[in-house]
Amino acid sequence: MDPTDQLLSERIQEYAPRLMESLAESGIMMGFAIVAAIVFGLPLGTLLFLTASGKPMENSWLYQMANIFVNIVRSFPFLLLVIAMQPAIRLLYGRATGDPIAASFPMMLIAIVLYARFVEQSLLDVPRGVIETAQSMGATLPQLVWKFLYVEARSSLIIGFTTAFVSLISYSTIMGVVGGGGIGDFAIRYGYQRYETDVMYVAIIFIIIFVELIQKLGLNLARKIDKR
Amino acid sequence: MITLDQVSKSFQNNSGEFKAIDAVTFTIQDHERFGIIGESGAGKSTLLRFINALETPDEGAVMVDGKNIHQLNKSALRLYQKQVAMIFQEFNLLNNKTVEENIRLPLELHAYPETIPMETVLDFVGLRDKRGQYPKDLSGGQKQRVGIARALITRPKILLCDEPTSALDLGTTKEIVDVLKKAHDTFGMTIVLVTHELEVIKELCTRAAILENGMLTDVIKIEPPKNKKSYSSYRKRALEVLSHGSD
Repeated sequence: MDPTDQLLSERIQEYAPRLMESLAESGIMMGFAIVAAIVFGLPLGTLLFLTASGKPMENSWLYQMANIFVNIVRSFPFLLLVIAMQPAIRLLYGRATGDPIAASFPMMLIAIVLYARFVEQSLLDVPRGVIETAQSMGATLPQLVWKFLYVEARSSLIIGFTTAFVSLISYSTIMGVVGGGGIGDFAIRYGYQRYETDVMYVAIIFIIIFVELIQKLGLNLARKIDKR
Repeated sequence: MITLDQVSKSFQNNSGEFKAIDAVTFTIQDHERFGIIGESGAGKSTLLRFINALETPDEGAVMVDGKNIHQLNKSALRLYQKQVAMIFQEFNLLNNKTVEENIRLPLELHAYPETIPMETVLDFVGLRDKRGQYPKDLSGGQKQRVGIARALITRPKILLCDEPTSALDLGTTKEIVDVLKKAHDTFGMTIVLVTHELEVIKELCTRAAILENGMLTDVIKIEPPKNKKSYSSYRKRALEVLSHGSD
């Protein structure tokens, strides 16, 4: 075997298990964050839309509460948010550092508020006549949301989700600070701190490929279902 | 029977509060084709929206078959709204749904005791071959026919039409007016039509209320057109407006 090939093979054998482990850790954090974005971010964004002035559930108190919550979380520099949440995570989960599930809590929180804003923006783009039509047909609030608003905003909701997803990948790369691991942590630990730049670039290439894939998948899906 | 009894409504705008509707009273009989006419900002659409409770008057009452619809509880109001359909100037179709899905939309919201089969309603508005298409592929007239089909499928007792031809050219306006007349002849619902187009009112309605600055000035009986072709062609109208006659 060529000495260069042999060296490459040894490097791959040495780092592949750790790289896979890091990818799995990123997967855990991203998985929790995505579920949180859909389960809580989508309703929160819808609430922001519905309770705003002139909207079907207009309620300035509720709107302000939701709005302030989203703004506060989004104002935090993410690293400080991770640190600030430590006591709460310890209370909820028993430990705040050292594993990807503990590291998922700040990811979930940022995913919720990030996607909520995208959802709010997407729903604001739905023509006013759609709401008027639903109301003229005597639609209930859930019917208005599911059968009218989400149907008309669906491609925009997916584009927003894709954008949030890509941002979350970026957020996940600093979760190594609290021992969450992940591909970003792998790149910093082995590539930057141990001066093994080839390892760092491999990790970066993985991140780039992943982002590209998600972006392409999201945009293609949004285009496919957009009949406007 | 629909009775608007001393209804008033004010809105806030940049220069303060203005009265959009001022103590308006009139009655619309069952199965009537009734028009509400007036210039832009006269309050026509607000009056129409009182009838299906999209707007609530500040004062006065809207009585339908003896019931004040703005005092109904939520479930009774929903029951009432099932009997009222509406078509809009901008059609208000869901662009991500096909023609057929748009027409079926009201049936997904409520259970209706008596509906018109999809095939029948598609034939009625002449859109059978467009059933799988999306609104972006339709002309303005076709979109409005989808709106009419969506309204008719539930066999409403009252059909509210908010400037249904204002975004359409003359030829398409005639088509839509014909479809509405045919719908009235076939299903016998009450039609309340809001428009500023006098020819549309003359062609379709038997009585009309004239509004000016939110106040009712007249309720008039409309003489049916003597000449079947009284509905102006684009050429005739252009000649009337531009040269006061043909040379």
